[in-house]
Amino acid sequence: MSKRKITVLKNVALITCIVQRGLGDEIFKAAREAGAQGATINFARGTGVRERLGILGVAVEVEKEVISIVVSTEQVERVFEKMFIAGNLDTPGMGLMYITPLEKAATYIPPEILEKLEGADD
Amino acid sequence: MGSDISYGDFVREATIQQKQISYDLVTPRPEYDEEGKEIPHSPQKFQLRGIDIYRLLSPYISVRLKSQIKAVVPLALYLIFFQLVILRQSVLDHWTITAGLLAVIIGLMIFMEGLKLGLMPFAEIIGDHLPKKSSLKLVLFIAFLLGIGVTFAEPAIGALQAVGSIVDIVKAPYLYTLLNDWTDQLILVVGIGVGLAAMLGTMRFLHGWSLKPMIYLTLIPALGLTTYCMTDDELAKIIGLAWDCGAVTTGPVTVPLVLALGIGIASAAGKGSSSLSGFGIVTLASLFPIIGVMMLAIYISSTVSVESIIQAAQAVSTVSQTAVPWYEQTPIAEIILGTRAIVPLVIFLFFVLKVIIREDLHDAGIVTYGLTLSVVGMILFSIGLSYGLAKLGSQSGSFVPSAFAQIENVQNSPLYSYSIGISVALLFASVLGFGATLAEPALNALGETVESLTNGAFKKSTLMYAVSVGVGIGITIGVVKIIYNIPLAYILIPAYTVAVMLTAISSEEFVDVAWDSAGVTTGPITVPLVLAMGLGFGNAIDTIEGFGILSMASICPILSVLITGIIITARIKRIKRNSEEKTKIAGVVAA
Repeated sequence: MSKRKITVLKNVALITCIVQRGLGDEIFKAAREAGAQGATINFARGTGVRERLGILGVAVEVEKEVISIVVSTEQVERVFEKMFIAGNLDTPGMGLMYITPLEKAATYIPPEILEKLEGADD
Repeated sequence: MGSDISYGDFVREATIQQKQISYDLVTPRPEYDEEGKEIPHSPQKFQLRGIDIYRLLSPYISVRLKSQIKAVVPLALYLIFFQLVILRQSVLDHWTITAGLLAVIIGLMIFMEGLKLGLMPFAEIIGDHLPKKSSLKLVLFIAFLLGIGVTFAEPAIGALQAVGSIVDIVKAPYLYTLLNDWTDQLILVVGIGVGLAAMLGTMRFLHGWSLKPMIYLTLIPALGLTTYCMTDDELAKIIGLAWDCGAVTTGPVTVPLVLALGIGIASAAGKGSSSLSGFGIVTLASLFPIIGVMMLAIYISSTVSVESIIQAAQAVSTVSQTAVPWYEQTPIAEIILGTRAIVPLVIFLFFVLKVIIREDLHDAGIVTYGLTLSVVGMILFSIGLSYGLAKLGSQSGSFVPSAFAQIENVQNSPLYSYSIGISVALLFASVLGFGATLAEPALNALGETVESLTNGAFKKSTLMYAVSVGVGIGITIGVVKIIYNIPLAYILIPAYTVAVMLTAISSEEFVDVAWDSAGVTTGPITVPLVLAMGLGFGNAIDTIEGFGILSMASICPILSVLITGIIITARIKRIKRNSEEKTKIAGVVAA
């Protein structure tokens, strides 16, 4: 049995974006167009902003989507901005997003890309 | 590597201009009172600018509006297109109909939001707390009362009253009296049926009973009463109405409210959440009312004579020609109707909450807002129902026969030769059924649930197409029934017999899904449209009654889904057998 190789990605960052249920697709679309590869979406419930909006609070869905996107540090700001604008996050009640630095990430990397990169390294 | 500046950092510094502020400046400092105790922080309300309010409300409204527009507009366009292009008839009262459809869209939007914010919290809290605080008997009794209450609140139920006036009194006196003089009792028996279904469904949650024997036991009296009604000439005319009532009851109020209660009870008892146990209530809720309506009709026929109904109605019609009382005029009548539909249900739920389980509502303000919305939405919807949906449906229904028969109002009818005309009418019916069902949001939701519950064996699209094809065929058969005046029982009895046989050989999950899919598909838009269309159709070609289309639209998807289920099971078995053989062969080779 040969040893399995793991290729670990460096320079990765995590963007997490919490928005109302149903609005996540639009935001991920913007992220994908900015170069993000994929997203994980969790369902959650949120509280806080509804109470502060008074009667308009009913316009804010309690059920939320938490969108997690792993991006490279090179693209993180671009994706972050696009997502912010797509989600209209500067509107009260629309949600919150943040960036977390990640130490390492690993996943499937297409072999032709691996070869190309290894070729460049050598 | 570490000493290099990564390109990302470079880009960030060079291109993006962000204003950065410290969150420390934003968060509140702790405050202390004189004794040095910390005062709990209470956040201030936002000061919203106009643009904020707009940006806050526009997605909220547009999402909800869009989903209703999607359900109403394509259907209405299809009907209007068909009328204009194929039948070459202009749409009468098009402004009234447009306004009516608009009222339906907005009314349903408001109502659904009100349902979610106002009524659902009640059902969830009651479902959670009731079983802990009271005996099973009381719980079941409350489930029963809730079943009655939600039936009155069901928007599609109003369609029965709206189409009642289309029925010709001389041809079908009992049908007329049921829909005009006995409407309250009619809805009450339907409600009792739903209530009993809620009770039995809850018991099923608790004990994990199989649905199959329940279906058999309910169908025996239902088909028995149908046969009995067949023997009486006058009673035979209400069979269509009775079976249609089953489809009418299971709408957007009944299903979620009763399910929320049932699931709450089951999870409080520590049982339930067997993947498919949520199903079945809908089936029972659409079968029991059928029995109830037929029993009511038999009771009326034994107490009231045909002549007295006609006389009474004629007396009323001469009176009403002089003046319609103010409380029966639009919009007062609709306001009364809408309030009467919701308020008793709310009072009942509130009573249960306060007196029996002594719980408080969270967010009383939002719940009040939701309840107000549901009343307002119901009123708007009922207005739109009678002026938009019912009018459009009965109009296109009455024009479609002009394709193959001579109709008074239509010049040079029949428009096409008999065989082409009939095919045009049938094509119209099947496309209507197929399209309307495929667009029904409830079906989409059911499809998703079923796919995840069967681990993908039953694909969402497969289910949706199976149901839609079923409804399309069903509506077509219903139209054939009206054209050739076939007694409904001749179709219903064999169809349900086949359904029972298929049920017996199907696995439990598919039985649950199949029988429920029928109830789910007939929503608040399809029901009035199809009912009114059938009646208009029937009147145009002078049949006795135009009911029965909806009941056909219920049984056919049951059959189509059951058959699909059997095919899928067979395929899975075959695949399993194949893979077993392969592993066997592999085992032999390896040995």
